[in-house]
Amino acid sequence: MEDWRRGRSAFWLIGLGPTVWLVLFFLLPLTIVWLYSFAELRGVVDMEVTGTLSNYARALDPLYLEVFGKSLVFAGITTGVSLVVGFPVALAIVFATPRWRPVLLLLVILPFWTNLLIRTYALIAVLRVRGFANFTLEWFWEQSTTLLSLLGLGSYQLLGERFEPLELLYNNTAVIIGLVYVHLPFMVLPLYAALEKLDRSLIEAALDLGASQWRAFLTVVVPLSMPGIISGAILVFIPALGSFLTPDLLGGTDSQMIANVIERQFKSANDWPFGAALSFLLMYLTFAALALRAVFARNAGGL
Amino acid sequence: MTKRISTQRTFSGVSRRSFLAGTGAVAAGLTFSGKGFAAEEKVLNFYNWDTYIGETTLDDFEGETGVKVNMDLFADNDELFAKLKAGNPGYDVIVPTNDYVERMIAADMLVKLDHAKIANIKNVDPSFLNPAFDPGRVYSLPYMWGSIGIGYRKSRVKSVPDSWKVLYDSDEYAGKIALLAAPSTVLQIGCKYLGHPLNESDPAVLEKVADMLIKQKPNIKVFAEDNGQDLLLSGEVDLTMEWNGDILQVMAEDDDISYAVPKEGGLLWEDTLCIPTGAPHPENAHAFINYILDAKAGAAIADFIQYATPNAAAKALMSDEYRNNPAIFPTDDVIKNSETAIYQGTDYTQLVDRLWTKIGAA
Amino acid sequence: MARTPIGPLEYTRRTWMRLTLLATFVFLYAPIVTLVAFSFNDSRRNIVWRGFTTKYYEKALGNSDLIEAFVNSLTIALLSTVIATVLGALTALLLWRFRFPFKAGYEGAMALPIVIPEICMGVAMLAFFAKVGWPSGLPWPLSLSAIIIAHVSFSFPFVAVVVRARLAGFNQELAEAAQDLGASEWRVFWDVMVPFMRPGLVAGALLAFTLSLDDFVITFFTSGPDTVTFPVKVYSMVRFSVTPEVNAASTVLIVLTVVLTGIALWMQFRQEKKSS
Repeated sequence: MEDWRRGRSAFWLIGLGPTVWLVLFFLLPLTIVWLYSFAELRGVVDMEVTGTLSNYARALDPLYLEVFGKSLVFAGITTGVSLVVGFPVALAIVFATPRWRPVLLLLVILPFWTNLLIRTYALIAVLRVRGFANFTLEWFWEQSTTLLSLLGLGSYQLLGERFEPLELLYNNTAVIIGLVYVHLPFMVLPLYAALEKLDRSLIEAALDLGASQWRAFLTVVVPLSMPGIISGAILVFIPALGSFLTPDLLGGTDSQMIANVIERQFKSANDWPFGAALSFLLMYLTFAALALRAVFARNAGGL
Repeated sequence: MTKRISTQRTFSGVSRRSFLAGTGAVAAGLTFSGKGFAAEEKVLNFYNWDTYIGETTLDDFEGETGVKVNMDLFADNDELFAKLKAGNPGYDVIVPTNDYVERMIAADMLVKLDHAKIANIKNVDPSFLNPAFDPGRVYSLPYMWGSIGIGYRKSRVKSVPDSWKVLYDSDEYAGKIALLAAPSTVLQIGCKYLGHPLNESDPAVLEKVADMLIKQKPNIKVFAEDNGQDLLLSGEVDLTMEWNGDILQVMAEDDDISYAVPKEGGLLWEDTLCIPTGAPHPENAHAFINYILDAKAGAAIADFIQYATPNAAAKALMSDEYRNNPAIFPTDDVIKNSETAIYQGTDYTQLVDRLWTKIGAA
Repeated sequence: MARTPIGPLEYTRRTWMRLTLLATFVFLYAPIVTLVAFSFNDSRRNIVWRGFTTKYYEKALGNSDLIEAFVNSLTIALLSTVIATVLGALTALLLWRFRFPFKAGYEGAMALPIVIPEICMGVAMLAFFAKVGWPSGLPWPLSLSAIIIAHVSFSFPFVAVVVRARLAGFNQELAEAAQDLGASEWRVFWDVMVPFMRPGLVAGALLAFTLSLDDFVITFFTSGPDTVTFPVKVYSMVRFSVTPEVNAASTVLIVLTVVLTGIALWMQFRQEKKSS
């Protein structure tokens, strides 16, 4: 890496465009909202930046902290589930034949190229009472009942008198399913990148030395893929923390997340200063998560 | 609130097809700007709810006046308000609901209408000409109106739901009921159920309603994002709070669905035609509003979207089936017991939002 | 055909692994398949199957608003992808090549568009364009400028991240060798750096394209009277009723993105084959 003073003209040539863009079209708009978070409402639309901290004080009310906490839990569970589901998938892709590898990778990314809203509605069509998940279950139920009556056990009605569809939608589980569905590629891709670089002879060595597959996995594969696990976790955790469409569309009466509250401030509550304060608190929280990663990375590097 | 009855709208936007024409028109507009009707470019930007206009209304208007209408869509009043709040990005005619008209008047976001340019005001039912939210109709003219009530599946209820109790304060249909995810409307109807005025602003009463909803929460399946009719149709819920037009939609598709306004009364709403401040084509906007209030044009719209029209001349042209449908035109009893929402200022909205957050978090 | 026994590291050939993979793909694809299947369903409501029809494709293709929104979205996605890729690549180069004061702060600022809640960014853009008095009613495609600017702002940091990851594997000696052989800085950049960055550029561009095509919230707040985009249009359509027409239009979009990506991947594949 060279010092910027050694190649001033190249430095400016490369850096000027993106910097001007970032400042003009991102930091400047963002500053406006940041200033709003220190503003007070005057009438219906007017805001006056008075430097007040009252918006932040309101945001730290236990009520909102609880919503923050719940969002953290939702995002945390989503990250955990994505990791558990995504790890075997990434592993399978890495150890697939070279011909299959790009195909499998593409298959993981493909759903992610459909509009989020449309994907969520499609998920509703699968999960609702009269949706495909239930139709499939009902089919299995009918087959098994037929089988049971063929076996002469029909009269006991072991599987109930009629099929009771599962209520899969409009609860917190549906929100988690939806969040995992939306964010899984973000977990698989970094895991894949990390596992691909893994030196396979290390696993072989562990197996040769008598370790079980499971033990080799836990003591060799997992520690060596830690950077991938961490970046995957970050890439899932952050957007999951800020999602509002999924809880809105799939959640029940108990599924409110902080981004729903933020969205309302900019819409129905018409309280932009408070919405801005909540947004920035959410961003500070995200930065804390990123800082945590930096600490982890440093520790991992030190090993 | 949801507006639709969809087959397919047939109007066309400007963009590429008339790109060159548009450029020419802009140039012309620049040259003659500010010289009144004749000089205004033949374009109108209409910001409307989806499927909330007659099938050929926009084309007919263009045929009559030569003014091309671009229609853009918003999904709820909050979106409309948020979008215009920081400045009008170029809309000429908008369709806000009554309490938002009030809010926008307070925020100086609407232009005073020149009644002299809207001769068809004479067609409007006189009872709509002096509403509390806009006395003397200075800023708004009525477009459509309706009620809020309970949509239900006949075969799954023991009797017609004649009280908000089934949704707010009972476990009779636990897990099979939906309320709207509209904070102020849900709390207002709750006030109504407890015997208070719809626009009750006493924090103690609102807290009481919120507590009732927290207690009721385990019985409620979902606060529906304005898709209650779909939930009803797909069997996800058996009773839902919804706007009349939405339920009317699915009633046409499923005989087992019906609509009732509870005896406590509910909320009456009115969507209006307004011109936002900074509208680039105010002359065309007046001409367009006048056109919509025309008897025939109004009847064509009402016939297509099946909402209650405040246009007496248009209503006279409609079928009996439309005029006597209680799901379109509320009965006199309902009207007597119902109220319209009024805009109550920032403190009220903040309180409502806080209570809503509390209900969601409890 | 004699099958070789499964080796200890051939995880993908193990049954449980295959089942996991299958289950995941079922989970990922069931909704998409449903969506595509229902675009051929002869019923206005997406609830039960009522027979095969292609009429919703005809309807979707005959819906001039939808087509217009579609074209708007693609135009926005293409233009913003080009700008975002250039800016993102430059950012990656800057961060990779130079040491400069406040670099950590610069990197932090770059990360902001990735972590900011969408609604907050949407409102920021709305307020910004209103404050500077961005002209409205411009002829197409200039009327899309505000949306394009907003899209570039949220997507180019993603491109930067991807390209920078690629650059981390660059062998500096290659550039130095070229320079020693008398190549100008510009030649080194164009003939050595750019080809090396290409996979990163392709991946970054694909990401930017998808982000742009998918975005609803920020677009909503930056769109004007004659700039409806596909997600905004779909959003209002599905809010009013989930018609098969939306499914048909989305299916077209899916097929389109799959074909585009297929071409991009194939081109990249050919490139790599040639270079190796």
